[in-house]
Amino acid sequence: MSTISEEKYYDTTIIGGGPVGIFTAFYAGMREMSVNIIDSLPILGGQLSTLYPEKYIYDIAGFPKIRAQELIDNLIEQMEQFPVLKSLGESVVTITKLDNGYFEIETTIQKHYSKTIIISAGNGSFTPKLAGVPNEEHFKDANVHYFVQNMDQFQSKNVAILGGGDSAVDWALMLEPIANKVYLIHRRDKFRAHEHSVSQLLQSKVEIVTPYRPDRFVGDSKVEQVVLKHAKADEQKVLNDIDDVLVNFGFISSLGPIANWGLEIKEQSIVVNSKMQTNIEGIYAVGDICTYDGKVKLIATGFGEAPIAISNAKVSINPEATVQPQHSTSIMGAKEGF
Amino acid sequence: MAQYTKVNRTTCIACGSCNPNAPDLFNYTADGYAFCTLDDNKGCTAVPDDFLDDLEDAVEGCPSGSILVSDSPFD
Repeated sequence: MSTISEEKYYDTTIIGGGPVGIFTAFYAGMREMSVNIIDSLPILGGQLSTLYPEKYIYDIAGFPKIRAQELIDNLIEQMEQFPVLKSLGESVVTITKLDNGYFEIETTIQKHYSKTIIISAGNGSFTPKLAGVPNEEHFKDANVHYFVQNMDQFQSKNVAILGGGDSAVDWALMLEPIANKVYLIHRRDKFRAHEHSVSQLLQSKVEIVTPYRPDRFVGDSKVEQVVLKHAKADEQKVLNDIDDVLVNFGFISSLGPIANWGLEIKEQSIVVNSKMQTNIEGIYAVGDICTYDGKVKLIATGFGEAPIAISNAKVSINPEATVQPQHSTSIMGAKEGF
Repeated sequence: MAQYTKVNRTTCIACGSCNPNAPDLFNYTADGYAFCTLDDNKGCTAVPDDFLDDLEDAVEGCPSGSILVSDSPFD
């Protein structure tokens, strides 16, 4: 017998905050379900925000072309028409089905409770790659960062940014006006960022330190010096008086613990039926993580799967509801009073 | 030392990050999965020296660790 009160259970919990997960959360709101969305990253957007925010996507219905981050921003705006709990920076570790048929979801931070679960985890969780210096772990909770969540923390600071891609260059440009000093360290002279961003970088006050790799961090409780080694020669350089280090070496994806939740998995994907339901009653999957006969892995397809999963989840917890929803015009018209 | 590369097609997630990083080494099949263009992903052709930095960019940028690199041919 569960001792958790009924109101602590969300109607549905979305695991994975990529484009399909965000749209699924929105659709849960449309069907008047309480919803919690969990993602291992501290931001929503999944691959689109972490890997290719500046790339154009050409196969989203209604948009001849749209940049990946703009699509995410639009989806978040659409989702936020409804109250959605965002549980970010949490990785789901275990899912336990309780005696009452509902679920306990244990993350790296806390326990959540939900009547149904929709997994929209794409290619699994994304975690930032480390700088790869020997004593990095020691400083991870101090002043070595892998994301910028609050730019103000870099106000008047000396910041060393490691990396040569879009994220590294974009953050160097964003922090340059507010920081005291920004160093951008890359192992080659060529940056693999958007051409326009690189042009801006070359005209900025950011000190470009190439071709160097990080060798070690020096400091007691926090990094004070970054020791660099030349990428091609036996030569060192030391950056002194560093207040913060920002590592932008990309991300690594992993299906991780999903494989251990008792779900039927086929070729790294979760098998679902035409209701997007998995082999565990109450758990659904949508987007690139799911597979079925004829599956096509596209954002566009995932957007179509979201209302199917949500509507069937809705009926599973409220048998009086219908799978077929009302048209959005009617739902939103009623919500906004016209 | 010569380096050889190929894409592990079973772990590639078709994210599209390798070609912009190393346009002379990687491209995508019709279904979006990556392959090495030097020898149709056999991994038997040494990567030209001029592209070694690009190769390292692609390896760093690959989120699924699918770009394999070796100092000897794969087959």
